[in-house]
Amino acid sequence: MLNEYKTYNCKILKVTPEASDSKTFTLSLPYKGFSFEPGQYVMASIPGFGEAIFGIASEMNDKKSIQITVRKVGTLTSELHNKKKGDLIGIRGPYGRSFPIDLAKGKNVLIVVGGIGIPPLRPLILDALENPKKYNKVYIFYGCRDESTLLYAKEYPAWKNVCELSLTLEKPLTSKYAKGLVTTLFDVKDIPADAIAFMCGPPIMYKFVLAKMLDKGFKPENIFISLERHMDCGQGVCQHCAIGTKYVCKDGPVFSYAELMNFKSWLSPI
Amino acid sequence: MNKTKFRQFVEFLLKNNLVIVPQYNVEGYLHLAELKNPKDLYLGTELPLDSWKWYLIPPFQKMFDYKNDQFKEILPKVGKQIFLGVSILDLQALTLLNQVFEQDPYYQEIKKKTIVIGTSHVPKENFYKYFAKFEEDKLEHLQFDIFLAVQKNGYKIYSGSEDGQRLLDKFKYKNYQHIEYAGPIREEGLDQQMVSVMDGMQNFHEQKIWDDLGKRCMQCGKCTIACPVCFCFRMYDQSNLEKDSGYRSRCWDTCFYNEFTQVAGPAPAAPKHRLMNTTSQKIYFWYEHHFVRTPASFSLPGCVGCGRCTRTCPADIDIFQTQRDILKARQRKK
Repeated sequence: MLNEYKTYNCKILKVTPEASDSKTFTLSLPYKGFSFEPGQYVMASIPGFGEAIFGIASEMNDKKSIQITVRKVGTLTSELHNKKKGDLIGIRGPYGRSFPIDLAKGKNVLIVVGGIGIPPLRPLILDALENPKKYNKVYIFYGCRDESTLLYAKEYPAWKNVCELSLTLEKPLTSKYAKGLVTTLFDVKDIPADAIAFMCGPPIMYKFVLAKMLDKGFKPENIFISLERHMDCGQGVCQHCAIGTKYVCKDGPVFSYAELMNFKSWLSPI
Repeated sequence: MNKTKFRQFVEFLLKNNLVIVPQYNVEGYLHLAELKNPKDLYLGTELPLDSWKWYLIPPFQKMFDYKNDQFKEILPKVGKQIFLGVSILDLQALTLLNQVFEQDPYYQEIKKKTIVIGTSHVPKENFYKYFAKFEEDKLEHLQFDIFLAVQKNGYKIYSGSEDGQRLLDKFKYKNYQHIEYAGPIREEGLDQQMVSVMDGMQNFHEQKIWDDLGKRCMQCGKCTIACPVCFCFRMYDQSNLEKDSGYRSRCWDTCFYNEFTQVAGPAPAAPKHRLMNTTSQKIYFWYEHHFVRTPASFSLPGCVGCGRCTRTCPADIDIFQTQRDILKARQRKK
């Protein structure tokens, strides 16, 4: 019988340090024909250290490798940070529902990300760079703690060719960047309310960003949020990621705000 | 099948198989254990404290062995086993577990070697009104191999699978009827009691019920162990003493534990973030799984009304009372 828990060994092709506490791992494909969409995730594991979910951060059309960006916070991520080029990482997946990028074709796109929430949306940004005409205008709102935690900083000049990138830092160490949470960008920048919004970040961020968006006239069905939850199985059995009648692992992680509003659970999903 | 013949049947089953039955232990508790002496078999209206999930989804299960970077699948090594005397309520629970774990190779490995023999005995205190009275047409919505319908002088025998038929044929017993499983949904539609409780929780939320329960519940998680349809698990790796080898396994988990929804950790300096923080949130999550999520996903009741959680709860939380409270709040607000 097929075993969904089986991991495929992927060779680390490249390790790129990102910011002060993160690294991007470029991995060989887990198996032939592996493909994914922005917003989907994989389970990465190291024998003896367990498994955890990571959003796939690489280009969709890359047929040779995938990338995950890992911030060092716990046991598994610390061990991942010890890994070097040529070492193996176990991968299973991809799992979950992706961001509906087809819906955004030809439209304005707003990407709102906080901290380590940016990797699952990087495929979308790279897609916009690859096909500049696919989306109308792409706005990126990115909020971080300080300069040392900005991810993919080297790519910003390239991003700026196609996207309008706005950065804000909670506790800036220099005066190069604006100070404030990601919500402050809504007061400064003018965003067309017909944009399709994609969001990922710490749960605390959603409430405030949503309030700003609804204020600006965004429609709930045009706001898509990637939720973060503890997961063990990745296929809707183990119950860790359940909210209301849904499982973040298989019904999500991407939900539209229109769906989330209908969740009847008083344990608010966001 | 009269009583003499049934005794012979039990002896026939014992010859080549491991037979697990409800029986009283030395302390006087009814529990599940291997049948050694046919006299110990208990077939009656009382439910054993533990449920059949102990044998189908063991509390601890090895999934993979690893050496260096290679994982090797380890399927559970079980021989042929027979569950004898499964109450109709527990059959309902097994029917649900079969659905939940249909893609799970570990569950299926055990399930395919297991013969389930159900009985129509129902506990006297049974909140789940549907099974209060046994009727033959209820059987087609339950999964079993053989079923013993209690009659005055013995049992009326039904088979529910080819494995069950083969076993009866081998015993040279012909006087049985076959029931074909017709799926979970009955002719009259979804179970009304299930639908009303689900509607009550989803649309007529009463915060006071959960705040009160939150004050009483001590988050011990005993109910999740006793419940025949609680199946949450967590996966973890364990190293052997030998370098770079060990195993990946899964074990039962409890939604009442703090780690259940915790992300990031457990490095000492790591920020710990949980999505359920209060006791009432946790107990709501537990009820929501049984009364809302399971019916929504499988059209099957996520609570079979066995009352095991009520019997084990040290804080005397009565699931039947909670159901009544949910229904009352629904009535009042409707």
